[in-house]
Amino acid sequence: MAPIVEVDRLSKHFGRVRAVNEISFSVAEGEVFGFLGPNGAGKTTTIRILLGLLHADGGTARIGGHDCWTDHANAARQFGSTLEQPALYGFLSGRDNLRQFARILGRVDEAHISELLDLVGMTERADDKVKRYSMGMRQRVALAQGMLGKPRLLILDEPTNGLDPNGIHGLRVLLRKLATEQGMTIFFSSHLLSEVEELCDRVVVLHRGEVKAAGPLDELMTTKGFKYRIDVSDVDQALEILRALDGVAAEPGTIKDSITVTSPTDQARIINQALVSAGVGVDQLVHTQKGLEDVYMELTGATPGSTLSSPPPPQPTAAARR
Amino acid sequence: MFISLVRNELEKTWRSRWIVFAVLGGLFLLIAGGLYTYYVFSQHRWSPPPAVAWQTTLHSEIASNQQSIAQLEAIKQQQGTSGGSFRGGFSIDDAIARAKQAIADDQYLLDNNIAPLQSFSLTLAALFGLGGIFMFLLIRIFGWLASEQIAGERSDRTIAILLSRPMSRDQLLLAKAVASFLISLAVVVATFLIIYAMIAFIAGSIGPVTGQVAIAIDGSKPVGAGNLVVMDIPVFVLMCLGAAMLGVLCVQAMSLLVSAVTGRWAAIGITLALLFGAPLVSAIVTGIITLISGSPDNAHFLNYLFFNVLTPVSSVAPVFGNGPAAAGTGMNEFGAQLATLAAWTIAFFGAAWLVFHRKQETG
Repeated sequence: MAPIVEVDRLSKHFGRVRAVNEISFSVAEGEVFGFLGPNGAGKTTTIRILLGLLHADGGTARIGGHDCWTDHANAARQFGSTLEQPALYGFLSGRDNLRQFARILGRVDEAHISELLDLVGMTERADDKVKRYSMGMRQRVALAQGMLGKPRLLILDEPTNGLDPNGIHGLRVLLRKLATEQGMTIFFSSHLLSEVEELCDRVVVLHRGEVKAAGPLDELMTTKGFKYRIDVSDVDQALEILRALDGVAAEPGTIKDSITVTSPTDQARIINQALVSAGVGVDQLVHTQKGLEDVYMELTGATPGSTLSSPPPPQPTAAARR
Repeated sequence: MFISLVRNELEKTWRSRWIVFAVLGGLFLLIAGGLYTYYVFSQHRWSPPPAVAWQTTLHSEIASNQQSIAQLEAIKQQQGTSGGSFRGGFSIDDAIARAKQAIADDQYLLDNNIAPLQSFSLTLAALFGLGGIFMFLLIRIFGWLASEQIAGERSDRTIAILLSRPMSRDQLLLAKAVASFLISLAVVVATFLIIYAMIAFIAGSIGPVTGQVAIAIDGSKPVGAGNLVVMDIPVFVLMCLGAAMLGVLCVQAMSLLVSAVTGRWAAIGITLALLFGAPLVSAIVTGIITLISGSPDNAHFLNYLFFNVLTPVSSVAPVFGNGPAAAGTGMNEFGAQLATLAAWTIAFFGAAWLVFHRKQETG
């Protein structure tokens, strides 16, 4: 499939702060693409460049072959978008908001607007003023706004903000449906790893303005090694034994009397033998695939089990370093 | 698509700010009611007075001036040959000369069958409504509304949605400017018609809407064949309306420039500070210059420095009366003021376009 989004050595600085530093990636038509990264990684800056709100300092960003800044109108015909904070006119109803944005696209198709409102579950409250909506309801109407005109590409920046569990589940089902039934490309930016893991075909992990990993999700997770959960009779002794083994990393598990072990190669039998021969009781050894969270933690340098960390400090530009 | 954009902007302004227009409507009703009440009490009548022909008014003005000259001559004879002087160095001889000039001006108009500007309700409404206190108030309201056009979208974060849609920033800016202008045009025309109705009631007649009026080319010089522009009444009204709307456009361009840079509250604050502050500074400096030089004529150049958007219409207002008007009145001045205002307007729009075109929306 030809890429619908092409980002090539894209850079953006804000004064001395380097928000995005020569990142490159592409999104193929029809795929559900995950855009991951912690706060301050440069996700929103990249999206704003794609939407034509910011001008890149270097590199190019193209949608459907059109430059996002110099050929904005043509690029914008390819996509719909929702931003982190749902942006709507509070003094208008949800339906009138959609009419406003539909007019910019050409004409107001009332049947299409009703269909979108139904799709996001807002038919009953469609004629109420947006200022009376909850955050989740605003997010739903914003999503309908993004889908106006049936775009080829839907760019979603943290679309699950404010949605309840039912809403998140509904969004996931809807996005899958849009991708499979209508062939719509989904560009899904989120920090909710479970959502990305369940929804996306391919991801890019961004950290401190740089691409740390990119590729199909299953490939990304398997290439990063093996992971086991082992329930043992003595956690401290087990950790001591396993940490002595080559290439094995062991940490106390989140469940009582369990440890989490990771290894670049499959060492399940060796681990089991080492524990049993040292007299440590092994209740069970479960071979688990490494989750996206583990991969993400490794890539972004966060420690598993650590509490909230502060956002990364601003990265000075090369000029500022000099 | 451009018409759809303008329609969007009109709908948004109306739906979010209808209360402003409702308050304005209420204010006009109060003013009209107050004026009518005052009329009833002061004139002891409920209905308008009979209409008076402009020739009759000029004849009585001439008679009044002749009476004044006679009184001034009597005072002069009592005080001796020097004639004495009034406060501010204004001599009795000056007053007599001005009254004689006023008589000569009025006689010229009568002899040539040219109506003075203040003869008809329609032209009076154009001068009073489009160059006076009503426009002073309205222009500030239009400035406030225009200052919210982009800044409000930025504060509501909807600017990101608008700018990510398939249209250029030029189209959006132009749609916002056109919508602002159309709203202000509707309000100004409605205001003008209301004021016309009020003045017509007080004058006792809506007056002719056809016919001709005359305006001095240089208001500070005597009226005569070489110093008069004669034009049809509708042309005069349209000229005043055009000048008033140029003032509105100038303010809107300035407000859009401020709006392109900041958020909602900063934009409103800066715009209103400029709109109230510039005339205030102008008035203070005028006062100082007048005090030093002894004549307000020396300060009228300030209109060029501070964009006093009411001066074009005001400059044609006091061209008749008892003697020549002050410097800075008449058609020449009107043209110069329009040119200045047009230059300000183009500069503001150009700057707004440049800023908005390059503005990075960081959210």
